[in-house]
Amino acid sequence: MSKKIIMGGNDAIAYAVRQSYVDVVSAYPITPQTSIIEKIADFISKGEMNARFIKVESEHSAMAAAIGASIAGSRVFTATSSQGLLLMHEVLHWASGARLPIVMANANRAVAPPWSIWAEQTDSLSQRDTGWIQFYASNAQETYDLLFLSFRLAERVKVPAMVCMDGFLVTHTKEPVEVFDNEISEFISIKEKREILDIDNPKAYGALAFPKDYMPIKLEQNDAILSASNVFNDIAKEFELISKRHYAATEVYGDSKADVAIIATGSIAEVAHIAVDNLNKDSIKAKLVKINMFRPFPKKELQEALKDVEKIVVFDRNISLGKGGIIKDEVAGSLGINNIIGFVAGLGGYDVTEQDMEKATKDVLSGKVKEDSYLWGEK
Amino acid sequence: MKNINKDEILQPNHLACPGCTAALSMRLALKALGRKTIIVIPACCWTVINGPLGKNYAGVPVIHTAFETTAAVASGIKASLSMQQKDDITVMGWAGDGGTFDIGLQALSGAAERNEDIIYVCYDNEAYMNTGIQRSSATPYGAATTTTPPPIQKDRPKKDLMELVAAHDVPYIASATTAYPQDLIKKFEKAKNIRGFKLIHLFVSCPPGHKSVESKSIIISKLAVETGVFPLYEIENGVYKLSRKPKFTDVKEYLSLQGRFKHLKDKDIEQIRKNIEKRWEKLNKKFEN
Repeated sequence: MSKKIIMGGNDAIAYAVRQSYVDVVSAYPITPQTSIIEKIADFISKGEMNARFIKVESEHSAMAAAIGASIAGSRVFTATSSQGLLLMHEVLHWASGARLPIVMANANRAVAPPWSIWAEQTDSLSQRDTGWIQFYASNAQETYDLLFLSFRLAERVKVPAMVCMDGFLVTHTKEPVEVFDNEISEFISIKEKREILDIDNPKAYGALAFPKDYMPIKLEQNDAILSASNVFNDIAKEFELISKRHYAATEVYGDSKADVAIIATGSIAEVAHIAVDNLNKDSIKAKLVKINMFRPFPKKELQEALKDVEKIVVFDRNISLGKGGIIKDEVAGSLGINNIIGFVAGLGGYDVTEQDMEKATKDVLSGKVKEDSYLWGEK
Repeated sequence: MKNINKDEILQPNHLACPGCTAALSMRLALKALGRKTIIVIPACCWTVINGPLGKNYAGVPVIHTAFETTAAVASGIKASLSMQQKDDITVMGWAGDGGTFDIGLQALSGAAERNEDIIYVCYDNEAYMNTGIQRSSATPYGAATTTTPPPIQKDRPKKDLMELVAAHDVPYIASATTAYPQDLIKKFEKAKNIRGFKLIHLFVSCPPGHKSVESKSIIISKLAVETGVFPLYEIENGVYKLSRKPKFTDVKEYLSLQGRFKHLKDKDIEQIRKNIEKRWEKLNKKFEN
């Protein structure tokens, strides 16, 4: 029987890793991810988890060792954050290009300089072209559930997956999380058969590809990532039967006949629920479109969710310097729409409240804000 | 004469340059290690030698990986095999000097400190040969490369890889070269049977990079040992053991067979002689203990 435990997102991730028959963990400490790997080390030391934990000397080696363990046939987990994820950048490509279903948790943290340890998604959004599936969790329950879903999805489509969660706001905020007892074990014990290093069939992986070979391989990889959208829905259905919790690439909340849609991810999406309630109370027909899965990009789901709205307001806790909010840009570009205004908000962990979002939304509707902007002000 | 394994695991038609002893090194190493071996190859000449997509001249499973990741990827493979109780498979990292002395040193240090049960091989041709002969920290004093063209040839000695790794207190470290094939094979056989981190440092002759004649590769490798330029020795559990006492023949002969040294003046050659003497003074103390 499932039970509720008070946990932060990091605890929930570690708890899910313990239940996921992970064979190899390879990781390096970084705030605010560290408590995940501490917890895993604790599980291993108590004999509650049967896995090898490679305590590498950098995040770069964390991902490299994960690649080695994965291509040799193991289920592999790692976790990182911010600078660590950026150090991994090259190796992220190696993992996805080798089609290895590694699962990683990333605590979203602002990028230095200046030093910051607080929430921002620029770290993982700037890895969006590395060929990884990306989930953004809004609360501890989602981090827990998405970890199981990530392993199954990654292994089915042979694409690595990262579960991103805003530093401290999601990683450390303690809340009740419904955890499984044994009822998840059948779901998570399924490990897809895949090609691995085999001394009886000696092949070379990752060898030089001439131009006639390279592009087809990359297109096949792209197709595999795109296929993750439908496959995710199938796996999420299976998961729902066990958990009674529904997961989809996007989630809509609020007035179904809304005139204005707010788009958000991660912890901001959690607060946006309140903003939508308050806007509805003020007779503004608003809804939240929360993006849970950013790669593959949920184009169809967003088209459906946004087809009847007049205005779209995006809150981005990230910035592509010299351009603006990354999610706003991707939504506008992918859907080819121009009724969309983006606000860059909450960089470096700066608080974003429901009042901020309500005011910004109203300013867009009144025409006071006509272009992409940012939220800033003394609090 | 020791019996050398007749099994030819390295396949013919690989893509090494004529006279390359990096290919011969692999042939001999695999004779010692056998077919239950997995190789990790970072960016290096062997990325090319092993053949393009669909080819695998090594004849055992190979994973090509990022330049700086050899020791970490090998660690991951070993951890996975160990979880699967496949402990009879040898995991070998096979990297050039750039991937070892320079960009891969951090991962190498990490794996050595953790005492990962892998064999890390550096086949050292003393420069970035695959990218067209640029200096590395393994390039010896006085050598010309495309980034150290005379008169700005390298003015620093080669980094001492064996000592660097020895500082990690690992069970086995050895140097070898194809000019002494039985010694090389013996060292790989030994490494295979020792649990923990093993480093094998191979001197490799590179005709295009060293500007030498293809047919002279073995002679050059032999002279590297006999002049004292490349000492053959082992460090087993901290104990130093000389494999072959050099005759200390004049280094001039070794240098004269390689165009990369042709610009050297007498005073430069004198400096090289001094460097050899200094190195051996330090080493001899270790052998005595």
